[in-house]
Amino acid sequence: MNFAFTDEQLAFGAAVRDVLRDACPPAALRTERRPGWRRLAGLGLFAALLPPERDGLGLGLTDVLPALEEIGRACLPGPVAETAVTAPLLPEAAAGEVCVSVLAPGQAYAADADLADLLVVLGEDEARLVSGEAARLDPRPGIDPCRPLFAVAYDTSEPLEAPAAPVLHRLAVAGAAQLVGVARELLARSVAYARVRTQFGAPIGTFQAVKHRLADVAVAVEFAAPLVWRAALALDAGAPAAGRDASAAKAAAGEAAALAARSALQVHGAVGYTDELDLRFWLARAWSLGAAYGTSAVHRERVRSALLGGDARRWP
Amino acid sequence: MDLDFSPAERDFRAEVRDWLSANVPDPPLPSMDTAEGFQAHRAWEARLAAARLSVVSWPEEYGGRGASLIDWLIFEEEYWAAGAPARVTQNGIFLLAPCLMRFGTPEQRARWLPRMASGADVWAQAWSEPEAGSDLAALTSRAEPAPGGGWLLHGHKTWSSRAAHATHGFGLFRTSGARHQGLTYVMFPLDEVAVRPIAQLDGLPGFAELHLDGVRVEESMVLGEAGQGWSIAMATTSSERGLTLRSPGRFLATADRLLALARASGDPAAADRAARCWTEAEAYRLHTYATARRIMAGEETGAAASLGKIFWSELDLRMHALALELLGERAGETPWLDGFLFALAGPIYAGTNEIQRTIVAERVLGLPR
Repeated sequence: MNFAFTDEQLAFGAAVRDVLRDACPPAALRTERRPGWRRLAGLGLFAALLPPERDGLGLGLTDVLPALEEIGRACLPGPVAETAVTAPLLPEAAAGEVCVSVLAPGQAYAADADLADLLVVLGEDEARLVSGEAARLDPRPGIDPCRPLFAVAYDTSEPLEAPAAPVLHRLAVAGAAQLVGVARELLARSVAYARVRTQFGAPIGTFQAVKHRLADVAVAVEFAAPLVWRAALALDAGAPAAGRDASAAKAAAGEAAALAARSALQVHGAVGYTDELDLRFWLARAWSLGAAYGTSAVHRERVRSALLGGDARRWP
Repeated sequence: MDLDFSPAERDFRAEVRDWLSANVPDPPLPSMDTAEGFQAHRAWEARLAAARLSVVSWPEEYGGRGASLIDWLIFEEEYWAAGAPARVTQNGIFLLAPCLMRFGTPEQRARWLPRMASGADVWAQAWSEPEAGSDLAALTSRAEPAPGGGWLLHGHKTWSSRAAHATHGFGLFRTSGARHQGLTYVMFPLDEVAVRPIAQLDGLPGFAELHLDGVRVEESMVLGEAGQGWSIAMATTSSERGLTLRSPGRFLATADRLLALARASGDPAAADRAARCWTEAEAYRLHTYATARRIMAGEETGAAASLGKIFWSELDLRMHALALELLGERAGETPWLDGFLFALAGPIYAGTNEIQRTIVAERVLGLPR
């Protein structure tokens, strides 16, 4: 047992972080739809989950968790995780030449569908592929300016060979990993602000009420992250309870990010409630990703059903 | 990253499980805070020790197996899943022993550790004083050099867990006026100490106050050097808050029982909350595996242990409170009521959770003092 990231896994995350620092500074969030896409493709991010015989890196979801966390941390726009996770279904996606948006079951709208060359429509059992040209898109209002939503209609689609459930579980865990990154960044920004913002003649970070609120965020993130790691390992290993564990991860990460967002807003006060402050992007990402691929409530319900249905097996 | 147990780890789990299923007392032992229960728990410790299962992570020369932290976590999972008795030797094994291993002389280790491992000695912790709880450096009990060598202990300790029945105590005593630098770590027998048991919420004397009025101890009862007590105690409390105070196994077993209770109740809202608790117990377990790996790799986990203390103590309380809600008036007929009263203490002892949150904010997050 070695429940810690390997040097290779951390190095891949660090490489993604370096690219994003350069290609996706907060200013890019206001102007660009897919910052860093080509460079992330160059790192092999979109080929990571493909087997070597299809020119992929043959990695598991676990191997790219630190990278996904960095994507959340940077609040990276564009369907990067969707394209990477669905790549094994779509050989041509490997090099990052195509951009993929996903419509998941129970989900009303597809994010970033206007950018997508391909749309993967997941049902409870089967998956279908819709080409970007065949999709008719209707923009819908949403909270996240970097993750615009679209209603999708289409007349023609192709069935995909792969079953839908594992793809959905992987998307949920990829979303959870990003949410952990979002939560960590929200916490870091809250701490940085609480150190410099003064009221009553002292930095607000000296007040115990502020300290304890942020400590609670730290606890929530600290104990959501291992559930995400475990879910990725369970999916990679094909463990029997992997679907349940993916739901536990998505719910915990979504709630940790929501708490981090709520606390960040409270610590920042009125300035945090503005469009001018960059914080708004991370707030929005916590909420928009929290709602994607099954809300926290939906995933909590799945965990409950599995546990009450008798699947209280521990893995490992 | 992987979560695969080695064949040796799986064998160890099987051995522990088999031994426990053949040996766990049925019916359960009476409370260790009664005279009768205390002796029964001591006898249980001797039985565990005979199977070399009382202190698996200790070196073999002191009665252990030199087991890794992962093995210890496996042991704990099996121990609590089997419904085995609470550990009457816990304070000694988990608080004093790590300090003896690290700061004790070879003579001190050889003298005290095997007796602790077998339950022959049962140690009570004596940290707190009436005016010094979470602010430990405020304590005023003192140790004075005794004529002809050794020390004379004076003062008043309180909230001393297990002291009503234990054989020995350990704590900090002031040897000079300097707040942190004037403290010395001293072990002492309890037979010369005036012990007043204090009944807890359950009516039983789970802790006691100690009046020391010139209790004489040999020089060999001082751990480390005089004046070093604070840093030695901090090494203890970081292990107290960290891995060793509350292993995940205890919460996993509670979560399993809570889930069964919620399932039987047919109440969907309760089931929701129970499922959440079960998941959080899993999160604590996984987090502990990660922490164990870091410690085994030689990293210091330090103030991060405070995160865990907040998490498990509040989870434990939530689980027991939910069980009480589900059981209503029948709770007293089950072990859940005692468990609830015990869980209530979690956010209070080993540094209150308010203190822990402040530690997290200042030392982990870097917020200003």
